[in-house]
Formats: sequence, structure tokens, C-alpha cells
Amino acid sequence: MSVPMVTKTVTTTALAAMAPPSLEALGDSFAQTFVYYLNFLGKLPGGSIILKYIKLSYKNDPIRSLFELALFIFAVHYFLSSKRKENKADTIRFSDKEINELVAEWEPEPLVDEVTPREKWLMKSIPQIIGANGSKAFIKGVDGPVVNFASCDYLNMSELERVREVTKLVISSSGVGACGPPNFYGSADVHVRLEEDLATYLGAERAILYGQDFVTAGSVLPSFLKRGDLCVVDSGINLAIQKALIVSRCDIEWFDHNDPEHLEQILNELKPVLDKQKIRRRFIVTEGIFETSGEICSLPKIVELKDRFKYRLFLDESRSIGVLGQNGKGVAEHYNIPRSDINITIGALSNSFASSGGFCVGVVPMIHHQRILSLAYVFSASLPPYCAKVASEVIHQILESTDDGRSSSSIISQLRDITKFSYQLMEKHLSSELTIYSDSNNPLIHVGLAQKYRELLGFPNYYGSAQFLTTGKPSRYLNEFDKYYNWESFILQKIIDLTLKNSNILITRSKLILEHESLPVLGPHLLINIKRTTTKQQVEDLAHALASSSKKVFANLHNNIDVLNLERELLDY
Amino acid sequence: MSFTLTSIPNAPVDNRPDSVIADHEYGKLTLKEYLYTSKHPVGEPLPTPIDDEPPMAIYIATYISYLILIIVGNIRDFFGKVFRPKDYEFLVESNGYAPWYTAFESFYVRRLKTRIDDCFARPIHGVPGRYINCFNRKAIRGGFVYDGTSNECLNLSSYNYLGFAQSHGVCTDAALKSVDDYGTSVCSPRAHSGTSDLHLECERVIADFVGKEDAIIVSQGYGTNANLFSSLADSKTLVISDELNHASIRFGIRLTGAVVKVFKHNDMKDLEKLLRNQIAQGQPKTHRPWKKIIIAVEGLYSMEGNLCNLPKLVELKEKYKSYLFVDEAHSIGALGPSGKGVCDYFSIDPNRIDLLMGTLTKSFGATGGYFAGDKKIIDKLRINYISNNYTESVPPPVLAQIISSLRVIRGELNPGEGEERLQRIAFNSRYLRLGLKKLGFIVYGADDSPVVPLLLFLPAKMPALSRMLYDMGIAVVIVSYPATPIISARARLCVSAALTKEDLDYILEKINEVGELIYLKFSSGIAGGSKIPGRPPRMTLEEALATNVEDCKQAKLG
Repeated sequence: MSVPMVTKTVTTTALAAMAPPSLEALGDSFAQTFVYYLNFLGKLPGGSIILKYIKLSYKNDPIRSLFELALFIFAVHYFLSSKRKENKADTIRFSDKEINELVAEWEPEPLVDEVTPREKWLMKSIPQIIGANGSKAFIKGVDGPVVNFASCDYLNMSELERVREVTKLVISSSGVGACGPPNFYGSADVHVRLEEDLATYLGAERAILYGQDFVTAGSVLPSFLKRGDLCVVDSGINLAIQKALIVSRCDIEWFDHNDPEHLEQILNELKPVLDKQKIRRRFIVTEGIFETSGEICSLPKIVELKDRFKYRLFLDESRSIGVLGQNGKGVAEHYNIPRSDINITIGALSNSFASSGGFCVGVVPMIHHQRILSLAYVFSASLPPYCAKVASEVIHQILESTDDGRSSSSIISQLRDITKFSYQLMEKHLSSELTIYSDSNNPLIHVGLAQKYRELLGFPNYYGSAQFLTTGKPSRYLNEFDKYYNWESFILQKIIDLTLKNSNILITRSKLILEHESLPVLGPHLLINIKRTTTKQQVEDLAHALASSSKKVFANLHNNIDVLNLERELLDY
Repeated sequence: MSFTLTSIPNAPVDNRPDSVIADHEYGKLTLKEYLYTSKHPVGEPLPTPIDDEPPMAIYIATYISYLILIIVGNIRDFFGKVFRPKDYEFLVESNGYAPWYTAFESFYVRRLKTRIDDCFARPIHGVPGRYINCFNRKAIRGGFVYDGTSNECLNLSSYNYLGFAQSHGVCTDAALKSVDDYGTSVCSPRAHSGTSDLHLECERVIADFVGKEDAIIVSQGYGTNANLFSSLADSKTLVISDELNHASIRFGIRLTGAVVKVFKHNDMKDLEKLLRNQIAQGQPKTHRPWKKIIIAVEGLYSMEGNLCNLPKLVELKEKYKSYLFVDEAHSIGALGPSGKGVCDYFSIDPNRIDLLMGTLTKSFGATGGYFAGDKKIIDKLRINYISNNYTESVPPPVLAQIISSLRVIRGELNPGEGEERLQRIAFNSRYLRLGLKKLGFIVYGADDSPVVPLLLFLPAKMPALSRMLYDMGIAVVIVSYPATPIISARARLCVSAALTKEDLDYILEKINEVGELIYLKFSSGIAGGSKIPGRPPRMTLEEALATNVEDCKQAKLG
């Protein structure tokens, strides 16, 4: 009790001394209340320490006590007011009546704009498959089966009897859905097995599965990037990674599409700046086979650069897993680079693996971190168990088709051989207005209008906004609808339709949504997916069909006036 | 057997007859009385959910617990870095590379979550139906070891509201047949060659079910939301989001660059104030009017078990000319007399809501998500929605599962079965919720919610409850920060139509035992469950169960 007693005396005297005589009475009653609360404070745990502090502090300097009190009040005020984020200066005060008037006046735009007549053909041109999307397929409105060059099932695994058997086995023991996120009882034996299989197959320490191919990049990258981290990115990167970078809010530097020399130049320029700073997380971000251009990335040079400049490498192998390399282990195997040189590899299970979902492989701490902090992993249900089993089975099929561990898998070499054959044949038969843009190892052949012909028709070099490239910040608005892009796509669609109608062959075209692309987009491409089981005869038929249908389409297209005339045809599609 | 396997073993062979397995996936209804129809009385206001508070001592103990964990964690980090530098390699800068993540960023995970890792991600095998088979394991440094056996637990952990997680029955037959007819995967985005007759049929069935003109399905629920908002909003749009919205909605909104305002969870007054202010103020700086305002809410909040106040939301949205997006991830199938979600439950015409989104994982035993709307909206999104052009389409077995389960619910397949499932989930949810209230536990959420969060508060009680119940053969999910506020750790019980009333009795008995042991019964009675209103409910198990069947069918629980 002694401490509060002493305080009482001290404090009253202090306050009395400070107050002018006329306010003495008021001062006294204030002092009494004040002291009462101070006494109360003394009874609280830790209160005596505060009291002691006040006492000591006052003894030396009463002004200091007042100053400290003012500081304390300011701190409390600041702490409470910081919650009101809105800038008061920017808000206008309205009365309730005025607000009612403003509400009545306000006319919002529709939730989404209606489909314009110019866009209608886009929807109508989506083929409707009857039954399986296999190497042969039936299409609504087309007589008889068509040869299917539009599905990405490069290894044709979805039609393999063994794959279907294991699928049925899992469904009849585990049902269809996983019914829970992986962290909450959604991780079944088959999921864990697939993670082990993927890690072993690709030669990585650990793997993690994602429920959808597209969300993988958008979830993996942001778990390792924050404001202040740095990514040096290929300027032809796919939409999933564009979105991932935007969300992560890291600093972005771009290097010219698939140009390691330019990358080296950028890294050299960045070096003196970075050397002065605290080390931050730095990534080089690129794709194995580029989704938009079909080219293969120059991995050896990039790996050399990332080691020299101490960057980590993020590689999207969605299009190259199960395709490139002697055993389908992707672009790393293609160039004989160990997987451990690539810090983060992501990929899709929905193409060569005839399944669904995505994955990421790499070192243990990197994968472990994702299990708790990667949004799409934590906040979404696991893959259906049978999907995991299908992917495992495909890996086993590839490995079993290899005689010994080192030589090539026969499944992959079948695909490689027919791909090679296709490129040779296509180049021979392709009309001069068309060019092959993809790398000749890519079984997804990109065929587009030749640059000269494009110029003749008045098509620009690229579509969309380059703001993201030049400023490093994505545009705040979506790209606008581009009629030239629409026409160029429509020319390709005409070739697709003629090929389908006259030869019963289904091919497709790149269907990027210009509005959503944050990077400049090159002209659209025809896409021809070669499968492992595609026969030489089918490729020959395709080459001839393509030659004849493109001839017909290009017969009336010589200059940009002809292009404008497409508009009516497009509206009547 | 001893714990020697470092990887999970193969699933043990199940030699039980099919009928036994089927019963373990979906328990037979024991009595006709154990059914209920969930519906909100039309015109009555939504009762405000009462979040009961524990005694102050519990709060203080919780804070002290975290304080101790943080102090001990920091001490261990300090000495660990000195004496075991190898274990901390990945946390420090080495050879010119920044660490994958900082010690600070990962502190919570390393020092708190890792200590109770055995309660998360328990690997399973087989169907996560009425029972779930978890592999027995033992935590060792840096991982787990297995002994090859598994533990069959009553399942309160999976999202299996209508009990369609089955490996027997019409849905499985449909899924198996689709593998023959359509293959395992479509291997193409929808816009290329990934649109089959089965996809269109599935979208038709879903649109009809939710009462909208058209729908689009996506292979993952998270992915549905993550990409949807990019097609709806841009930087001149205002998105108003409930503070407890799911991560996928928040992620999707973040991608658009739209201005986001958050309103207090379920607080309609706050929402109205926000709407009025925002319409009046317009866009920041320029004060031009907003292009449009989108209100994004969930039908049933998965961590709180609260329902959105749909009648009021629809009223506000119409009054303020905004667009309403409702995420029915947890409510579709699980709520309403015909299982059509919150609209059905509140008797509101689905056409008054602009976009109805939902997942197919939770009630239909499938996977993926959908959104449904007017034809002109869906038509535009078919050519302007990222998922349609860039991502895998839904695989055929999943489509077959969705179509067949929806047919069962609508009574077109196995007439009567769908209705029974709907009434069982409604009964089971109320039965378990009321039982827990009577016993004295604090549970959050609406009466009809199939998500029953059982509040634990203290972090140490999470592993205690999870482990004890696991040993008693009950699997539950425990959640805490960052999914919930740090102070209110909880066990989230997900009720299923597959559980029988007897299963629930067993669950109540065991939770009661554990609750006594680790002091979980601290409800004050304001949320109901007491014999005498106002008194803290502390019934014995026998008292609680005696009239629970009748009591849980009262219009208002408590």
C-alpha cells in the first residue's frame, strides 16, 4: 500500500502547483479523481511499475511528465484513427436526401456486355464433340468420324485400355470426388503415390499436386514472391503466369521472347543495382514449350545465366512434360540438364498424362512451404483420386516402355518420330501464305499466316497493349476488342471449317482472349496436335487437306480491302 | 505391427461383402422420424447468429498460450540456429541466394502448426463416406512413419453433405460407364475440342436445378472464382465483399484491379451504409460514378456456419441497382427443401440474383465448380471467360457423377432417395447442433447449417480433441489462424446425410467425454440449449439425448 500513498502526496502537490489560484477548487477535485484512478492502476498487475515510473519521471522534471502524457494521448489517438483508412479530405459530405437523389440518378452498366454481332461466330465455331475426344471423334453436324488433331492427348493415353481399367478400379473403390482439401482428409493413398511417382520420374526431391492446371502457376509463384522481390520474365509468357505475376506484386523486368542474349544484357544491367541492395528473392521465369508461340526455350543458356547471376529458375513445363526428352521428362531432359538445376518446375497433368490438374516439383522446403501457404492447394479440394491414379499409370507406362533406365522410351519415341515426319511433310505441302512457327520437336504444330502475307493484308505485328512490358505495371483496363485480330482469327477458322467439311479432319486454332492478355499478342495460329498414334497416312491427308482448303480461302484475299469484306461473312457465320 | 514404413503403405484389401461396404459408405436410415425439411419461414427476418462468449479466463489463457508458444518458438529458433545450423539452412541467405522464405514469414508454420502436424493431412484410402479410413502413423522428426494399418473413423471431416461419396450405386455406375464412352479426360480446353455432349447436358441439368437460364462448369471450384471476376470487373468497378469471403473470391477480385470495399460479416446495415456512400462518392479522386457495383457474398460461410441474409441482400441490391454474386460452395445441395441452396431455403426467386456460383465437390460427390446466370451473361462468358479458353475441361467421370447425383436429388433416378438424403442432412445437422448446445459446448452458426463449428479457443485443445476423437474412431477437422481469428480456434464438424442417428449419438457421447476432460463446456446459454432460459446449459448425455429428436425439429433450436 505504501506506493500509492506516496504517489498521492506527490501528485496532488504537483497539480496544485501547476494550477492557477482561481482554478484551485476545480484542480483539487480533478486531482482527487486522478489520484483515485492512479491508485486503482496500482492494484492492477504491472500497475505498480507504471506508477513507479511516473513518480520517478516527475521527480526529475514535471514538464517531462506532461510531455509524456501528451505523447501517450497522441499515440492512442493515432492508433484508433488509423483504422479509418478513407482519406477524409477526398470525401464530400452529402445529406441523406442528396444521397437518395444520387442513387436514383445512377445508371450502372450491365454486369457483362452482350455478345456483339462481330463476336457471335466465336461461339458458333466451337465444335461440339459427341462421345469421346479421342484420336477419332464424332462432331455434331459432321457425317462420320473425323480424325482429331485438336486434342492435346499427345500420348493418346485416354484411349489406352489399361488406363481405363485403373480408372474404373479406383472409382469403384474410392468413388469420384475427393470431398476435401488435401490438408483435411482429402489426401488419399493415390495422391501420395502420384507425388512420389512424379518426383522420382522427374528426378526431383518432392512433388505437390494441384486441382487444376491453370491455377498452379497463379498459386505457386505468389507463395514465393512479395513486393520487393524480383522476376525477370520472358515477354512471351502465358496468361496463367502473367496473372500470377500481377497478383504477387513483385518487380518485373522483361527480356525479349526466347532471347537469352537479351536476358544476359538485362541481368548485367540489373547487377550493379542489386549488388547495392539487401539480397532479395530473384527468379527467372520462363516456359519449356511456349504456349503462345510453340517454341522451345533455350534452357542451357538460361541455366548458365541463372547460376552466374544467382537467380532461381521457374519453369512451366505444362506443354513439354511427356513430350520432350528421351523419356518424356520435359525440356530439361531434352537438353540433358538435371532437374535439380531448375528450382521450381510446374506442369499440367491434363495434356500428355490424360488426367486433370497440375503439379509442382522441386526441393523439400519449397514444396513444404506450399502445403500451408499456397492458396489453391490450401483452399480447394484435392484432385479426384482416379485422376491421380491415371497420371501414375501413364508414368508407369512410359517407364515400362523403356528397356533399361537410360535408353529411350518407345512411347515417347513413337511420338517423336511421327512429329518429325509431320513437320517434314507439312513444310513440303504448306502454301506460301502460311508458315510454321513452332519448334520442330513440338507435337503441337503452330501454323500461322506468313509475316509477308500478314503485312499485305494489313495486319499489325502484334495486338493488344504493350503497357505491361514498358512500365512493368499491368494496364488497369482490359484490352479492347480488336477487329483485325477478329478477322485474322476468322481467316484461320475458315481454313478449319473447310478442312473439316471436305476431309473430315479436325484441327483448331489459338483461342487467346485478347481482352484478358496483359502482354502483346502475336497473330493467331492454327494448332495441329500430333498424337503418338497418328499414322503417316493421316498426316499426309491432313497436309493435302490443309493445302487445298487454305488455297480456297486465300484465293479471295489479296489486300486489306479483301479483309474488310470478310466482315459480312463473319456477321453471317 | 511396428511403425517402420517411411511412405504410406498400400491400402489394405477390403474383403467385406458389398452390402457391408455400402452401409459403411452410406448408413441406412434407421427410423422415419429422423428426417426434417429445412426451410426459412417466409417473411420472417433472419435471426442474428449468436456467437456465445467463453469466460474471460479462457481468453486470457488463450493469449498466454500463444505468448508461450511464441516465446518458446523464438528461443528454439535462436538456439537452433546456433547449435543446429544445418536444420536452418533454408531460412538463411546462402551462397548469394535469398532464402525461399524468411524465418518470420514461416514462424507460425514452423513453431506452431508443425507441432500438431499429425492432426492435419491424415492420408486416407477408400471412400470418404460415412466412415473414413485413415492410415495410422507416428510423427518423427521431419515426417511420419506408418505401420501399414488404418483406422476406420466416423467421418465428420469430409464435404459429403448428401452422402454421395460412394463406390456403390447409380452414380458410380454412371461414372464407370462414362469412362468407357468418353475416356478419362478430355485433354483440351472447352473452346478447342473440350466441349462434348456430356458437358452441355451437365450444364443444362445444373442450370435447371438452380433455376437459371444457363450455366458454365469448370474443373475446380477455386479456379471458377479465381478467373471469373476478370470477366466481370475492371478498375472502374466497385466490388463489395463480405469480410469472411473465401480465398478464391478474394483472389479473383484482386486479379481484376477493381476497387474493393469490405463490409462487416453479414452486417446488412454496414453494407447499406457502404452502398449509399459509394454511390454518392463515386470513384476515388475523379468522383465519376461507378461503372457498376458487384456485391459478392457466400451462401453459407464454411468457417462460421452462418447463412447470408439473402432476403435483405436482394432487397438492397435491387434498391441500389447493384449486382449480386452468391457463392453457394457449401449451401448448394445442402440447404432448402429441394436442396437448391439458399434461394430455395429463403424462398427467393433465383432470377433476382445475378450470378449463382457453386461447387460440385461438397454435396454431389464430384469435383469442380459452376456458375449460372441469364443466357446473355453466360453466352458472353463462353467466349470471354479465361477458364473456357485456357484450362482443362471437366473430365467425363466427374460429369457423369454430377448429372446422376442431380437426377437422384430431383427424384428422376431412384425416386424417394434424393428426398431422403435432403431430409437426412437437415435432420442430422440440427440434431448434432442441438445436442452439442445442450451439453454445454459453444457452437457457431445457423440452425440449419451442416457446418457445425465447435469452439475450442485454446490452441492446445486442438490437437487434444483431434487425437482423442481419432482414437475413439471419429475424424474431425480442426482449424485456427489464418482461417479463423487467432483467438477462436475451433473444430469444424461437417455433417453428412450418410451418418445415422445412432452415429450421431455415439459422436455426442464421445465429444461429451472429451469435453469434460479438457474443459470445453463453457457456453453461457445465450445461444440456446438450456432447460431454463438464461442458465448455462450443462445437461448430462442422457438428458440431452432423451428428447433430442423432437427438440431438434422445433422451429427454433434452443
